[in-house]
Amino acid sequence: MSQASGNISYFRQKGDPYVLMTSLALLLTLGMVVLMFGIILFQGLGFFWPRDLQEITLKQGEIYLGEIWEEETVHFKNSQGRLISESEIQIKKGNRDLSGRDFIWFKKQDISDQKSPPLATAFERMEYGNFYGYITGLNLGDKFIEDSAGNLFQQSSKALEKAMANREKREDLENQLNQLLAPLAGLQREISLLEIDHSIEPEAQAKKIDQLRMELQNLERKIEPDYQKYSGLLQKVADENEQLFLLVQTAEGAEVHLPLEKVVRLYQPNRMNIFQKTGFYAGKLWEFIAADPRESNTEGGVFPAIFGTVMMVLLMSIAVVPVGVLAALYLNEYAHQGTIIRLIRLSVNNLAGVPSIVFGIFGLGFFIYIMGSSIDQLFFSNKLPEPTFGTGGILWASLTLALLTLPVVVVATEEGILAVPRANKEGALALGATRWQMIRKIVLPNAMPGILTGLILAISRGAGEVAPLMITGVVKLAPSLPIDASFPFLHLDRKFMHLGFHIYDVGFQSPNVEAAKPMVYTTALLLILIVIFLNLLAIYMRNRLRKKYKTAVF
Amino acid sequence: MVVNIQQAVSQKTAGFLTDEKIVIETLNLFFYYSSDSPALKDVNIIIPQKKVTAFIGPSGCGKSTLLRCFNRMNDLIPGTYHEGKVLIEGEDINKTGIRLERLRNKVGMVFQKSNPFPMSIWENVAFGPKVNGITDNTDLDEMVKSALIQADLWREVKERLDQSALDLSGGQQQRLCIARALANKPHIILMDEPASALDPISTGKIEETIDELKNQYTIVIVTHNMQQAARVSDYTAFMMTGEIIEFNDTRTLFTNPDKKLTEEYITGRFG
Ligand SMILES: Nc1ncnc2c1ncn2[C@@H]1O[C@H](COP(=O)(O)OP(=O)(O)O)[C@@H](O)[C@H]1O
Ligand SMILES: [Mg+2]
Repeated sequence: MSQASGNISYFRQKGDPYVLMTSLALLLTLGMVVLMFGIILFQGLGFFWPRDLQEITLKQGEIYLGEIWEEETVHFKNSQGRLISESEIQIKKGNRDLSGRDFIWFKKQDISDQKSPPLATAFERMEYGNFYGYITGLNLGDKFIEDSAGNLFQQSSKALEKAMANREKREDLENQLNQLLAPLAGLQREISLLEIDHSIEPEAQAKKIDQLRMELQNLERKIEPDYQKYSGLLQKVADENEQLFLLVQTAEGAEVHLPLEKVVRLYQPNRMNIFQKTGFYAGKLWEFIAADPRESNTEGGVFPAIFGTVMMVLLMSIAVVPVGVLAALYLNEYAHQGTIIRLIRLSVNNLAGVPSIVFGIFGLGFFIYIMGSSIDQLFFSNKLPEPTFGTGGILWASLTLALLTLPVVVVATEEGILAVPRANKEGALALGATRWQMIRKIVLPNAMPGILTGLILAISRGAGEVAPLMITGVVKLAPSLPIDASFPFLHLDRKFMHLGFHIYDVGFQSPNVEAAKPMVYTTALLLILIVIFLNLLAIYMRNRLRKKYKTAVF
Repeated sequence: MVVNIQQAVSQKTAGFLTDEKIVIETLNLFFYYSSDSPALKDVNIIIPQKKVTAFIGPSGCGKSTLLRCFNRMNDLIPGTYHEGKVLIEGEDINKTGIRLERLRNKVGMVFQKSNPFPMSIWENVAFGPKVNGITDNTDLDEMVKSALIQADLWREVKERLDQSALDLSGGQQQRLCIARALANKPHIILMDEPASALDPISTGKIEETIDELKNQYTIVIVTHNMQQAARVSDYTAFMMTGEIIEFNDTRTLFTNPDKKLTEEYITGRFG
């Protein structure tokens, strides 16, 4: 016994258990990360794969057509106290506009018949989610084709292409009309502002209003022909599209009129081979990355959110790096190292522990209410009371995040600066360099890897932050991107979309959480990938610099 | 401007310097790293022009400190201060209005451990002229070349001026640092144990370089190696615990020292 305990204590003294513990801790951490990433990867990547459509008949006589989403086994005790297991399955049966719900659960034992009919067709729509059924008729404007055997798929796909082209044309025309009418709206606004303006004399006021009215009439006359032309074209396209529709029979047997203009995509998954499915997958993936969201963000793409996230991170970096680096330089190179500097350094480090929402509130109070409002008073007073910078926007959100990530950059830069050999700094000074020349030519280049480490950490932290953004400029759906073709091209005052907020919004605020769930995974995956990509970029830059400025070795 | 020699001779030391012009002179110099005890105590020394003057003495006696008083490198250490005066070419270098960059341009320094910048060889040598306002590249090329020639490095590096200075050997790096100081066309070069980290061959090369330079520059060299002091210097000062014990021409100091302490030190009885 004593021999054994002696062995154990010797074993402990050597430290072997602690070595084991360190490796276990690492394993645990790694395991959690792999698990989380694996779930996100699996769920996120699987979302776009077309699932087979199942037609399921229950013993009670109901028939459903849809995709099987989940299977679950529930255990319970029955009245005799026996343990019973029952399998339930969930199918997405779509057709929300008909029955109110997309999803339904039922017991597996209630199924009397299950098959996957090759002609079953899935329709992705602009509104109300997916529709599942069988095409029985197609109206092409000039003719109506009926075929209950279901051979209309090819023709319907062609008709859909035409409808989509028409939809684009229509959007173009609407834009043109809006542009045409914009000056009119501006003039009208000016008139109504004048009418309520009591600071000028009534006579002058009336005269001015008349003058503006004249201008308005002239303008109206001038654009009249164009207006007629565009609205004529618009009407034509709209009429044409109204004539493009499908007749679709649901599994229950109801016949539904489905305008093709409202359809985004139609496919027959049960007849697709692996290549077609892969092609479909790629198409959906591309749509996800490159298109605008639909259906309160639960469908379509997340392009505006990608754009907003990346742009915000870039703006944040542009703001945080110079400030952080200058602050670190002052702390290390200029300031007298004493109690005050130690206190300041401590406070900066502790800033990193302040809850991010506090930064958000500060951003709201300082950037938006104080700075934004002042900017509006000074430069955009003609638009008031409508705020320009006095409301949330990408600039203020980026600056708020810059503040949030400032400590990270300062600390990393300080480490970089401290790593610069003193001998090099003295050498530069001894050659007659001023302090600033020494900093520029010796300290900054050598501290660059540290600075980039700070940037990497700041990007990781900033890109994933949601809370402070919610009150400084992120929105569920931004009408336009912060960069576009209209002057001045860069619109820093605009609200924007963000992947992190998108996850929260789609996952927890959407009316149809069930349908949105895969979107949450996919968006999370995308956000992770973007953060990884931005990080790799910074790491690549850092490694190149490291090579260039490797420190002296004998 | 050169100080009247009579004035200097009237100070405590240096009757042996009557034929020399004086470039550096300290008057009752005390130096403190912190207020408890001075690292230099009442140092009065005159350094002759275009000669090699060596400081020897046991480690920690204040040789480096004294050397760094001549280009005010000690200013970089917070909390230090001095009493007394340091005159360089007759000018009090601690009076207000002195431009440090000008001073250090005139008084170059080579450090104990070579400290080439992580840049190309060319950039290293051109660093001084550049920060002192020379921008023309042909001028810079000329200055880099002549400095490297003087430091006896040109032959070895002329083919690879654009390569990193960190790829040079230790001895070459130190000679590069000498070239870097020379590129500023200084009047005085301070060397703080420039060869202590080098092998004998590299040390020999550095000593040769010093020999060639002394016709044009005033050189002050700190060394703990007495043979080296005897080989390269014209004058030698022996220091202990912050004081100059004895200052004389090298030959006399090593063969016929005045003070007992000096004799004990050079005969190796302590140190
Ligand atoms: N940066 C410093 N801070 C405080 N004391 C120092 C510093 N540098 C040198 N000293 C002290 O000053 C004295 C002289 O040092 P130094 O001039 O470097 O001696 P040497 O070069 O002769 O070996 C030593 O006692 C040393 O401890
Ligand atoms: Mg020393």
